[in-house]
Amino acid sequence: MFKRNKTKTLDMTLTHDGKNWIASNKTIKLAASSLGELDRKIENALRDEFVDNKRLNVFMAFDNEAIPMWIRPYMNHYFNRILVLPIQR
Amino acid sequence: MSKIQRFWYSGMLSTEDWWAVWLGLAFFSLGLLTLLGIDLVGWIAYPSKWVFNMPEGAISKKIVTIDKAFYALGGKYSLTARDTYQSLGPIGSILVTYIIFTIATVTGAYFQKWDVKRYFIGWTFIFFLTYLVWFIGHHAFFAASAVDLKRSHFPAMFTLSLGGGASFILALMAGLIIGNFFKPLARYLSEAAKPEWFIKTAIVFLGVKVGYLPIKAAATSEKIGHALADLTLDLFIAGAAATIVAYLIFWPGVYTISRLIFKLPRKTAAVLASAISICGVSAAVATGGAVRARPVVSIMVSSLVVVYAVIELVILPGVFTHIWPGIKDPMVAGAAMGMAVKTDGADAAAGELLDEFMRAKMDETSNGTVIWPEGIITVSAVMTKIWIDMFIGLWAFLLAMIWVYKIERQEGEKVPFSEVWFRFPKFVLGYFIAWFVYLGIFFGPGHGGSAEGMSVLKAAEAGAVPVEKGMRKLFFMLTFMSLGIITDFKKLAEAQFSKMIWVYFIALFFFIIPVASIIAYLFHHGMTLPNMATPGSALLGG
Repeated sequence: MFKRNKTKTLDMTLTHDGKNWIASNKTIKLAASSLGELDRKIENALRDEFVDNKRLNVFMAFDNEAIPMWIRPYMNHYFNRILVLPIQR
Repeated sequence: MSKIQRFWYSGMLSTEDWWAVWLGLAFFSLGLLTLLGIDLVGWIAYPSKWVFNMPEGAISKKIVTIDKAFYALGGKYSLTARDTYQSLGPIGSILVTYIIFTIATVTGAYFQKWDVKRYFIGWTFIFFLTYLVWFIGHHAFFAASAVDLKRSHFPAMFTLSLGGGASFILALMAGLIIGNFFKPLARYLSEAAKPEWFIKTAIVFLGVKVGYLPIKAAATSEKIGHALADLTLDLFIAGAAATIVAYLIFWPGVYTISRLIFKLPRKTAAVLASAISICGVSAAVATGGAVRARPVVSIMVSSLVVVYAVIELVILPGVFTHIWPGIKDPMVAGAAMGMAVKTDGADAAAGELLDEFMRAKMDETSNGTVIWPEGIITVSAVMTKIWIDMFIGLWAFLLAMIWVYKIERQEGEKVPFSEVWFRFPKFVLGYFIAWFVYLGIFFGPGHGGSAEGMSVLKAAEAGAVPVEKGMRKLFFMLTFMSLGIITDFKKLAEAQFSKMIWVYFIALFFFIIPVASIIAYLFHHGMTLPNMATPGSALLGG
């Protein structure tokens, strides 16, 4: 039987506080001034999750509350992103 | 408001966009019940042109006395409950309208997690102020044309001949006075001043209008009914041109102006280009996210968009009516409006104002021998805009891929395709459903307007008119009022982003508006509006 190798997905919320991008979930909270730096911090923090050549998708859903209330009726979505770990360099 | 958009159904109960669909389709569905002989929409209060006292010899035809300044539309159009709705009288119909829309919109406010008490108080204030302005704007001095006076056997007198446009202008002015001179009140009312919600709901109601136009015209003649059905479909197809213009002409042009002349950073230039070229605030936010800009970039650009959109709303309908293209090419004017005015609210509102101005001018110029169907010019403005809106999700997705995979390559990052759906404007679903259902009634059980389908079309009309005429106009009025309340012109003066103000100004007035007018001319020139004045008449152009 063909068995589909499903990649595990971890959900996080992404926001920006005016200075840093912040990714968080119930267990971790990481901040960095650029998304690239944030990704590297996430990779380090979650290193145990993708051992033995397993991949891990980190789904970052943007917290729309970072957008002012008056703007959200026009577009209630900033962006979501997926980070595939380990990062292939 | 939904905090995050994670699944395809995220935000269905918590965003204004979806609530415009629910509200619009709820009343559209109630309207359809007239096909079963049940009229639940005829209570909507609608204004007439009025005077305090009738001059000697005048008759109540196009102009009535003050005590009849409002009436329940069902009192005129209902087939099954005409007496009931007539008995409501002006005050009764306004109160019923208030109660029903208060329940509907407060429910929406509750699910969107707004401050319900503040919304309720603000809504009540805005609702009654809107009706007061609607009443004033329909005084014969503002609204009646020479033809209206003639039809009502009035003596010749000076009027502004603005038609329903007077009420829209007054609503905007009243809102702007509150927004700019009574700022604490404006801040309080902002919880209920929701132009995007109101206009998106109005656009769903406009879907009823587009579908109903052939039905209405069929009452004049079957041929005109078919002509209007064809015209709306032509507008839909020609409107696709707007998409190409906005994304492939405007965007690269404004991006180049921003980068080469004003030396703006790449991300800022991209966000600004989308805002000015595509669909204003929604494009600014979508593009900001796509290029991974800090949210503050989109926020700054959005502040500019809303102010410029209101400036366009004030200027363009008059320019297009009285300078170019005028009543010779009303569809060109509507389409150009859709391409030039950013934000759905300002565009649809400007289109509605244009519709009023154009029809009033044609009525006046032709001495009442040519009467254009109401709403079709608005449709031309909205149709181009809807095309532009629909592709913002796809555009932002492409930009995100270019940015993430090429320009600022982020190792390990993937752009989820679900982004396209999250950025798709949901209210257009309601618009298309409403349009195609009524179009289906016209061509299906209505037999395309022939005699055998007339009873079905009459029943459909009784449910469609209160929605497409009464509710749509009410929500347009609420939009004008709310736009004014939330617009603070001082924001432009206080803004610390003068370069962007100049990019916006130059791009809008020297690039976007002229090119939009040319493209609209190329794709819409020659589209003719049927004359509803003469039964069986041939189609008349302007």
